[in-house]
Amino acid sequence: MENSTQESQPRSANFITYESSYPLYAMALSSMPSVTNLNHQRLALGSFMEDYSNRVDIISFDPETLSIKTHPTLSFDHPYPPTKLMFQPNLKSPSSSDILASSGDYLRLWEVRESSINPLSVLNNSKTSEFCAPLTSFDWNDLEPKRIGTSSIDTTCTIWDIEKGVVETQLIAHDKEVYDIAWCEARVFASVSADGSVRIFDLRDKEHSMIIYESPQPDTPLLRLAWNKQDLRYMATILMDSNKVVILDIRSPTIPVAELERHRASVNAIAWAPHSSKHICSAGDDTQALIWELPTVVGPNGIDPLSVYLAGSEINQLQWSAALPDWIAIAFSNKMQLLKV
Amino acid sequence: MATGVQNQESVPKNLKKQLALAVRDIQWGYAIFWSISARRPGVLEWADGYYNGDIKTRKTVQAVELNADQLGLQRSEQLRELYESLSAGDSSPQARRPSAALSPEDLTDTEWYYLVCMSFVFNIGQGLPGRTLSSGQSIWLFNAHHAESKVFSRSLLAKVGACALILAKPILVNTLRNDSLVYVFMAGNFGNRLSQSASIQTVVCFPFSGGVIELGVTDLVLEDLCLIQRIKTSFLDAPQTIGSNKSILVAARTGNDKDLACPALDPQILDTKLSPLLDCEQLEMASPNDSSDGFEPNHPAEDSFMIEGINGGASQVQSWQFMDEEFSNCVHHSLNSSDCISQTFVDHGNVVPLCQGEKDNDNGLQDVEECNKTKLTSLDLRSDDLHYQTVLSALLKSSHQLILGPHFRNSNQESSFVSWKKNVLVKSQKARDETPQKLLKKILFEVPQMHDKGLLESPEDNGVRDAAWRPEADEICGNHVLSERRRREKINERFMILKSLVPSNSKVDKVSILDVTIEYLQDLERRVEELESCRELIELEARMKRKSQDHVERTSDNYGNNKITNGKKSSLSKRKACDIDEAEQEIDYVISKDGSTDNVTVSTNNKDFLIEFRCPFREGILLEIMDALSILNLDCHSVQSSTTEGILSLTIKSKYKGSTVAKVGTIKQALQRVAWKC
Repeated sequence: MENSTQESQPRSANFITYESSYPLYAMALSSMPSVTNLNHQRLALGSFMEDYSNRVDIISFDPETLSIKTHPTLSFDHPYPPTKLMFQPNLKSPSSSDILASSGDYLRLWEVRESSINPLSVLNNSKTSEFCAPLTSFDWNDLEPKRIGTSSIDTTCTIWDIEKGVVETQLIAHDKEVYDIAWCEARVFASVSADGSVRIFDLRDKEHSMIIYESPQPDTPLLRLAWNKQDLRYMATILMDSNKVVILDIRSPTIPVAELERHRASVNAIAWAPHSSKHICSAGDDTQALIWELPTVVGPNGIDPLSVYLAGSEINQLQWSAALPDWIAIAFSNKMQLLKV
Repeated sequence: MATGVQNQESVPKNLKKQLALAVRDIQWGYAIFWSISARRPGVLEWADGYYNGDIKTRKTVQAVELNADQLGLQRSEQLRELYESLSAGDSSPQARRPSAALSPEDLTDTEWYYLVCMSFVFNIGQGLPGRTLSSGQSIWLFNAHHAESKVFSRSLLAKVGACALILAKPILVNTLRNDSLVYVFMAGNFGNRLSQSASIQTVVCFPFSGGVIELGVTDLVLEDLCLIQRIKTSFLDAPQTIGSNKSILVAARTGNDKDLACPALDPQILDTKLSPLLDCEQLEMASPNDSSDGFEPNHPAEDSFMIEGINGGASQVQSWQFMDEEFSNCVHHSLNSSDCISQTFVDHGNVVPLCQGEKDNDNGLQDVEECNKTKLTSLDLRSDDLHYQTVLSALLKSSHQLILGPHFRNSNQESSFVSWKKNVLVKSQKARDETPQKLLKKILFEVPQMHDKGLLESPEDNGVRDAAWRPEADEICGNHVLSERRRREKINERFMILKSLVPSNSKVDKVSILDVTIEYLQDLERRVEELESCRELIELEARMKRKSQDHVERTSDNYGNNKITNGKKSSLSKRKACDIDEAEQEIDYVISKDGSTDNVTVSTNNKDFLIEFRCPFREGILLEIMDALSILNLDCHSVQSSTTEGILSLTIKSKYKGSTVAKVGTIKQALQRVAWKC
């Protein structure tokens, strides 16, 4: 098992590894415990195989016994790798079914029951059946759970009303492909694009958007975006081929609040802590997962991380569990690990 | 409460006198004798004392002048009385006390310090007196008021005194309980006024007769072993149980010990012992605490408080840890002044794990009677951690290890993460041959292309452009004006091109350009429609009339009004008729509908124009018409004309000689102009 061995003493380390038979990329953590076993965390793992048939598996994790249980029946096929998976956010009470959304060619919704998964809907906005605009990412609004925003390579962001299955609105968000989208409140979202800008949109005023950051080298794509749910002033983004995590304050556009520069290779994923406004975790090609605490005042040498975890290979995905804030899930090659914070 | 008397049996009877003598001899401020409490074994408490410092208000009953000795003794007694009366508490003390008794306003700060000292207790081994007793050596505390609280637990008190003046009375009454102490600090102006007054700057303790004698003075006095010797000899009759000439200098500040000859206790040792706690304190500082200045009176008493720099800039932020003493309710009295931070302070040196679950006490302070049962242990780091953890959890309202801070690790289960250290070699330093962010890039760049139907359609094709919004990015700051400008320039460029394609109009603004374009497009569409349908008609015609190639000439006679359809044609509006072949062919035409006498009908087939024209006849008009037509580059090769009732009717076949397209409208206009010329 991979282990961080910076100290000589062996850790009675609290992490769990799940090994899959195929490389993993997309990952989602359920926001609610399962009905039968409260406190169990459900995970959805999407495969990454460069052909048509890919799979999404659901497994569950018990933090008490530190064990993972697979459910062979909770699995479905997906055309080409899913670019993102996400469970319905903020489900407080256990109900018999959870909803999982996946993006790829279209936005798809799946109902995850105790022992089966039923496809709920395929949300397709093309007028003709010939063309579709594949989705790079999406975000499920946690204040307005019927609203999902998707980002696409056709430079648009589409806002769906998934209860009715129709498009609420569609915006041409950027000049180039949009790579990620993140909700802030019920009607405000931000997106990043290959044109290197972070833009904020308000559904109440679709005529205008706000550019709050542009990559210093023009046209350096910004690949991922995360909005701090505990403190809505802050967002984090990562650039292509960069080891920096850029922290932005929406109140001061274009000037990052901080640039976290301790990764030794490019960063692949970022996740804010769901329970703390000052903590963020990032993971990258240097196989490190770093947890940072953002100070109120930045020292001259920049910000150092609080703690680090070394995985076995480049970490491609990172999710911080909202249901169990002490656990972080990472995915690298074909393994998924749950790390205790 | 008044246990002082009991303890005096174990010490020389004239202790007070001896203390008085000693203190006056060296002209110090006060002397206190701490002795082992009869009530609680293992604890030093105030036995007797003599106050020799500054006095504010004298209150004497007798008219007789007392000598200095007697005055001093009386003062000390008065202070003791005051203390006892205050600590007696609830019963209204004022009524009972003699008029000459001191009341809180009468005391200087140094007197307050002295008085408040009466409430202190020390465990053996803790606190200045406690350590003195346990080590058996005298301790000279230099710069006491700056001492850290671990070393000299009353340092803060020594520095600022207990300023209970204004608010003290009601509060003190309720707060001075057995063995507990209350500080009422006035934040803010405090330092200015009082910092100098109560500054007990030197404190000396030495063991004596099973207890400890403490002497204090407001001046800075360097250590002087002789002085101690002198005092001791003045207590000659009492056996010096622990007599040692060695003294330990406790440097309140680490810089102080250099010039002193005595072997100095390495402050480091002290520090390391104390540092875990101190670190904790600093960390407590770091974690944001909302109620930095004033704790609301109803704030549930936490286990530790933070006091922000009382003395103006003094950054002695320390966290006080409660002991198993009974706490007072002072915190929860509504303080009149919002500046006040009231603290319940117990002997600092004793760190014990606090009983937990002390929250939610409405009445404010937990009654810590249950804490009395907890064992008094010596400095125990592990229990400190637990205690500290509880404190932090309550304060920060969270039990997540991250929020509680990095020093708080591994409380329950071990984390998967290790602390970050700089310059740690990461194993995977292998050469970066591979693409960075490989999988991420594949997901974003390649996977979308994989989708079969994923011929990337631009929004326009999809008709998205109709439905989608294109928000215009606002310029918040100059830096991204560039990209916006680029976009705008592109747009403007396109507009210019558009303008050049459509019939000229004078205006150049975008709206007009778009308007004209719309009109032009509609116009063209109409034309195309007409042409197409015309072509159909012609084909139809041609099929039917292929045989007769006769050229039928038409004269316009008696047109009268309106439509006369010649030929087999159905009426079509406006100008119609096309000529497939040359002028030889039959041409169908329809006269346009307006009933006015001058009708101009122009039909055209490519460059052949057929003009039918009616207008009132006048002399020379024919020539003018010909002129007009030749100006328009129309080469007339056939003209038929007739005049009926003053109306000239013309049928002209002409060929357009110009290079560009001639416009029907222009021809019409020209002819009409001619017609209307007078």
